[in-house]
Parts: sequence; C-alpha cells; structure tokens
Amino acid sequence: MTGPRQLDGSRRLEDFLAFSAEATAFTVFELRGTGQSQAYLNTCDGIVGTEVTDCLLDRYDAARSAVVASESTLPELLRRDILSDPQLGPVARNIAKMWFVGVWYELPRAWTEAFGAREGNATFVVSTQSYTEGLLWPAIGANPPGAKAPGFGSWAHPPRIPVFP
Amino acid sequence: MTTSHHLNGDSMPAITTLDELYAYLDSAMQLEHATIPPYLTALYSIRPGTNSDAYHVLRVTVVEEMLHLTLVANLLNAVGGTPDLTVAGFVPDYPAYLPDGERDFQVSCARFSRESLGTFLEIERPRQAPDEQSRLIDRGPARRGRLGSAPGNNQLQYYSIGEFYQEISRGLHYLHDLLGDALFCGDPTRQVGSEYFYSGGGAIVPVSDLRSAEAAIDLICEQGEGFGGGIFDSEGELAHYYRFQQLVLGRYYQERDSRDHPSGPHIEVDWDAAYPIKQNAHLADYPADSEVAAAAIAFNTSYAGFLDLLTRAYGGRPELLLDAVTEMFRLRDQMTRLIHNPIPGLDGVNAAPTFEVSVHLAGVAS
Repeated sequence: MTGPRQLDGSRRLEDFLAFSAEATAFTVFELRGTGQSQAYLNTCDGIVGTEVTDCLLDRYDAARSAVVASESTLPELLRRDILSDPQLGPVARNIAKMWFVGVWYELPRAWTEAFGAREGNATFVVSTQSYTEGLLWPAIGANPPGAKAPGFGSWAHPPRIPVFP
Repeated sequence: MTTSHHLNGDSMPAITTLDELYAYLDSAMQLEHATIPPYLTALYSIRPGTNSDAYHVLRVTVVEEMLHLTLVANLLNAVGGTPDLTVAGFVPDYPAYLPDGERDFQVSCARFSRESLGTFLEIERPRQAPDEQSRLIDRGPARRGRLGSAPGNNQLQYYSIGEFYQEISRGLHYLHDLLGDALFCGDPTRQVGSEYFYSGGGAIVPVSDLRSAEAAIDLICEQGEGFGGGIFDSEGELAHYYRFQQLVLGRYYQERDSRDHPSGPHIEVDWDAAYPIKQNAHLADYPADSEVAAAAIAFNTSYAGFLDLLTRAYGGRPELLLDAVTEMFRLRDQMTRLIHNPIPGLDGVNAAPTFEVSVHLAGVAS
C-alpha cells in the first residue's frame, strides 16, 4: 500500500483527511476549510517520516475495510489498532491535537526511546494561520483571541456551536 | 466625478418625478452591492499567509463599497424611499454587465488573478461621456445582470458609473427646484450615522438636504475614481482605480505621484497564490449530495438572511448594523471554507459561494 500512496500525493492527502475526520469529529469539508491540510500532513511527514505516516494511513484503511465484516464499530477498531499501538497511537493523537490547536506537540519520551529520536520533534506552532484555524474555536463557538475578530458586541450573543454527528 | 452636478445644456434630466428618483436609487444600491461578491471572491481566494498587500488593498476597497451601499440607502431614505435588498434580482446572476464607456463588460466572481484585477480596474475606471448624446448608450437587447442602465429600460445603459450618478445628481437638483426642501421628507431616524457605521472606509454621511445628498454622491464617486481628475479623493485617500492599479504595476503610489506612474515602495504580488476556484460558480456545478453543495446552499441562505438584516437596518433600525458586522464575519468564514474545498469530480477546481439568493430554496429541493 505504501507504494501507490507515495506516488499519488492527492490520494495521500485524501487518506490523511479521512483519518483526520475520524480523529477530530469534523468533516473532511471542514478540515479542508481551514486551509491547513497540506501543512499538517507535511508536518507529520517531516517529524515522524512518511513511512510511519503511511503505516498509520494503511492501518486506517484496513480498519475501514474490516469494519464491514466485524462485530466491532470503526471507533473500536481504531482504538485497538491505532490508538493502542505504541508507535502509531502517539502520532495519531498528535494529528488530532494539531487540528484542534495548530500545534505539533513533542512526542513522548517513551516513543523516541522505542522508535528513535526525530529531528525537529519539539512543540511548535505549525504556521501563523494554524493558530487561528484551530478546530478548538468552532468547537466552542468562540473566536481565537487576538484574531478573526467577530465584531463589536458579538460577545453578548450566545456561542454558535456546530452539531456533531 | 469631475463635472458640474448642475443641469448641463438644454436636455431634460431623466429623473423628473420622485418615483423615477426611487427607481434610480434602487438601481444604485443594486450597482453598489453588485461589486461586493466579485471583490470578496477574489479577496478570499488568496491563499492564507500570502499576498498580504493585495489582500489589504482588496479588503479596504470592499469595505468602501459597503460604505457606498449605506450612503445610497441614506439618500433613498432621505427622500422618503424604502431600501429593499431582498427584491428578486437584487443580486445579479454572475457574470454581471457593467458600463465602461462605448462598451459594457463582464464582471465575474473569480479568483484573484491579473485578469480579475483587470476587470476591477474597468469597474472603477474614471470615464466621462464625450458629449451629452453619448451619456446613455443603446447596448442592444435587455439582458440579465446588466447594471447601471436606465430603470425601466434595460437596453439603455449609462456610459459609466460616474455618468449614472451624474444623472441622479441632476434629478435631485431638478426635484429640489420643483419641491424645495420638501424633497427631503424622509424620517431622519432612518439615517445611518457614525454610531452604527464605524471603521467602514470613510465617514458615513447622514443625508438631510441637498448639500448632504451631494456630499454622499461625491464621496461614492471620488472613492472610486478620484477627485477632480486626480488619483486621490478629497480626503486624501487613493481612489479604488489607482489602488488596484498599484497591484498590476507592482508599486505603491505616494504623494505627488501622477496617474499611471506610482513611485512608492515595490509590491510583491504572487499571482499563483490563489485557490483555483470555479469562475461564476452555480449550485448546478456541484454534485447534489456533496458537502460542497450543502455548504454553498447554507451560504446562500445566510446571505439571503444577511440582505434581509440590512434591509431592516436601513428600514429604521440602524442599530442592527452592529449585528450585521458579526454576520459578515460568519459569512467570511463560510466563504473561505467553500473556497478551500475542491469540487468533487472536477480535478483541481475549487468551490466558491454562488450568491444565488433567489434560488436557494430551489437548490434545496433539487
């Protein structure tokens, strides 16, 4: 599976978005809407390497196929096959966090001890836009402080929180 | 606008009754609004974090168009009319057709590019008809989306937006000569003042007499085209035409520059750093069950609600403009989400808001 995925950048981005939608409870449309998709995939690739990212995306593909014939739900399969995996779990959690707050968090020491230190694996804000585009803000119906001004007096109105499926 | 506002020559003004004045001002509101979707589409197609100069030039300009819309609402209210942004056909089905001298030209909702900047230059270009006879031009059969035409006769379009406003100005003078100050019989509480219109690209002018009416029209025309043939308006702000021209020429104007020759700092424009959106997108371009279609319908519903909110604000509740600002930011977020998303099945073509406010219910049904 890694072969074709590496050859086709847009397919790879789509798989990354499909997994991210599962991990964040936002839709692919909303994820693309942030304009950060490629930046986050690049960040993940840049830190853990494309092989680890592809392994995660393959595992997600496999779970999606398996769920049809399985008694488990997709979230159960993902918890078992990805989130509980010592290598993929922390990476998956980092991807979810990246979408919500726009920050790549330094991977835990247990991870680097087991799978090797990675260059650039420190906590950093992905881009100047990633903070304002964090899913955290729509999730709580707020604007990012200091950015995306919502208009004078708008704070007098109740927040509009999106409905999650 | 550089010519005298008073009656020229012997010809009768096109506006000789209050109803004709209302029709012209209705058209003026439509015209001012019609530039906003193309400007916003180009603005939000710019990739985040790029083209900050171009982004700010476009943003300031579109905010001034919102000021113009409000100025025309003040004019219409001042003479006892009723601004209504919810009438069928208020939002054109893009491309729209605007006048540019001897010909008209298409205005599209399109991505930021050299081509769209070229169109924006045409929208704002200062043009004065060479003689009295060429002020109204027969553009042939009536067509949808033609703006700046004589109300009631879509075939006849004014030579330029400046000439269109010149006609309104003539009409105001004619009716004022006829009716005196009774012309300005509108309820003053319907005027939008600076307490409800702030940071909006210049000072809002409440209209209560001929002088303030002229000031409102002058501000609209000068912000677009410049004052007295110069590149700045009478408040010293660069006119829209020259602001856009800076992006094409790659340099800022500075004080004492002459037209077409900016000598200020260089501007970096990355023409490729814009999302490749579908030009003049319509709901029919999106697969029926796609998220893009749902989001485009949701945007159109929001936009229709927004125009309704503006209508209520201009209809005696100016304090609603504060809520309208909040709504504008939500509309911005809805627009950018659409523009960042590809249209399923179309390789490398992104979605865009369609501004089909009159058909959004039909869209839901399909």
